[in-house]
Amino acid sequence: MLLFLGPTYEELGLSPEELQGRMNKWFEWGAKMEKQGILRGGDALHGHGKRLSGPQRIVSDGPFVESKELVGGYYKIAADSYEVALEIAQDYPDFDLDGSVEVREIIQFEENG
Amino acid sequence: MVDHLFRHQYGKMVAILTKIFGPSHLELVEDALQDTFLKAALQWRKQQPDNPEAWLIQAAKNRSLDLLRQIKARESRELEYERDNDLEEIEEYFLEHEVQDSQLRMLFLACHPSFNRAEQIAFALKSIAGFSQREIAHALLIKEETVKKRILRARQKIKEEAIKLSYPGPSEIQERLQGVAQIIYLIFNEGFHSNKPNQLVDKELCGEALRLAKLLLAKPKFRNGDLYALFALLCLNAARLDAKQNEMEILDLKQQDRSLWFRPLMELGQNALQKAFTTYEERSAYHFEALIAWEHGRAKHFDDTNWEAILNHYDQLCTILPSDAIKLSRVNVLIQVQSLEAARRQLEEINLKALEGRQYLYHATYAELHLMHKQHTLAQQALKEAVNFCGNDRERAYLQSKLRSINNLL
Repeated sequence: MLLFLGPTYEELGLSPEELQGRMNKWFEWGAKMEKQGILRGGDALHGHGKRLSGPQRIVSDGPFVESKELVGGYYKIAADSYEVALEIAQDYPDFDLDGSVEVREIIQFEENG
Repeated sequence: MVDHLFRHQYGKMVAILTKIFGPSHLELVEDALQDTFLKAALQWRKQQPDNPEAWLIQAAKNRSLDLLRQIKARESRELEYERDNDLEEIEEYFLEHEVQDSQLRMLFLACHPSFNRAEQIAFALKSIAGFSQREIAHALLIKEETVKKRILRARQKIKEEAIKLSYPGPSEIQERLQGVAQIIYLIFNEGFHSNKPNQLVDKELCGEALRLAKLLLAKPKFRNGDLYALFALLCLNAARLDAKQNEMEILDLKQQDRSLWFRPLMELGQNALQKAFTTYEERSAYHFEALIAWEHGRAKHFDDTNWEAILNHYDQLCTILPSDAIKLSRVNVLIQVQSLEAARRQLEEINLKALEGRQYLYHATYAELHLMHKQHTLAQQALKEAVNFCGNDRERAYLQSKLRSINNLL
């Protein structure tokens, strides 16, 4: 799982032209992974949300963290090893916007335990 | 996807929605549209629509209905558009001729006499050309905060003076058209005469100026000689954009790879120029600037340049617009035709302070003149001054190499 963290395009105040440029880069990356057959889905997330916490299930409004730690979206990919996944994450388009990628391995539960 | 689709659609949609809701709601309109494009940029990562343009237009229509509800709920008394809206009526605003009309009205709004020149440019780049504040700051070499203030002030004036999205009256139209032409000219020049590292933005500025000029010329009621001449000037200069290397025009023209000049644009410019001179009687600075650009453009090699003709055009240009920058360019032409005495007299007339960022060109020109007279020590001094004032690395390197070659002669 590749988790994308960083400021939202909204708070960066990107112009329509810049947005299109960003989008094209994501298209390229997406298409590359599709071609390699390693993309297993993903989503972009809204910047704002609510959080339930504690025994009282208290609802609070977020963002809950600084924008550089805000999860903006994720991709699920198939990779033979952790190193390969790191390699794939190199293509993430928004490093120059202070974004970062967290690479986490999804735990595979074996059947019949 | 079409290049600049987002930016162009943004400009169109701001115009349409401003026509529907009135310029006093401009901020609301722009924020709503910004949202639409943000959404598209994220949503399309997963699934790109078959027809991106149609998607955006539909989104803008939906947005306008949302906005309508919002505005009605909040401040129904102020709403300029008071008839009962339904989707059908909104659809009409999206028809092609209506869209163009809205964009033209926006252009006249940007040139409203209540705004000062700086506000006009910032406003036009933001609301018509769809640049972000950061991009505008970068393009105009000013602080982002300054851009923000200018746009804010313009929007405030719209509200305070209840400025409408209407064409000026028949008595005002020619005067306003001059303002519109000037804005287009300035936007182009910001792109063309810049030494910024980010060339992309520069080309965008030039392209935007061309697009706006074309938009005006599409309407018979706005056509005049000045506009045709301006359009010609933009085409003829834009054709050389890919070959352009620096600001020292003569040197640049010497070095440019003329095969990179974009011929179709030169032809377009030539046709417009012809129209400007044959169909209309009035003559403006644009006419002669365009003629100069055309003369350069038709010379196959630098050595084929018809400097006499160019000098003649500069003489006319100086009569209409005796600016120090133009005089300085004229000096360089005088040097080319060996009229050194006239060149010296003209140089002495120039007010150095009025040249602002281009003072180094003045000193470099003096150096050139001294060299023609084989006064190497004087040339050396002038070149040192030029190097001091030069803010562009590439040009400074050129000046320094020239300085070294003189040092060797001494």
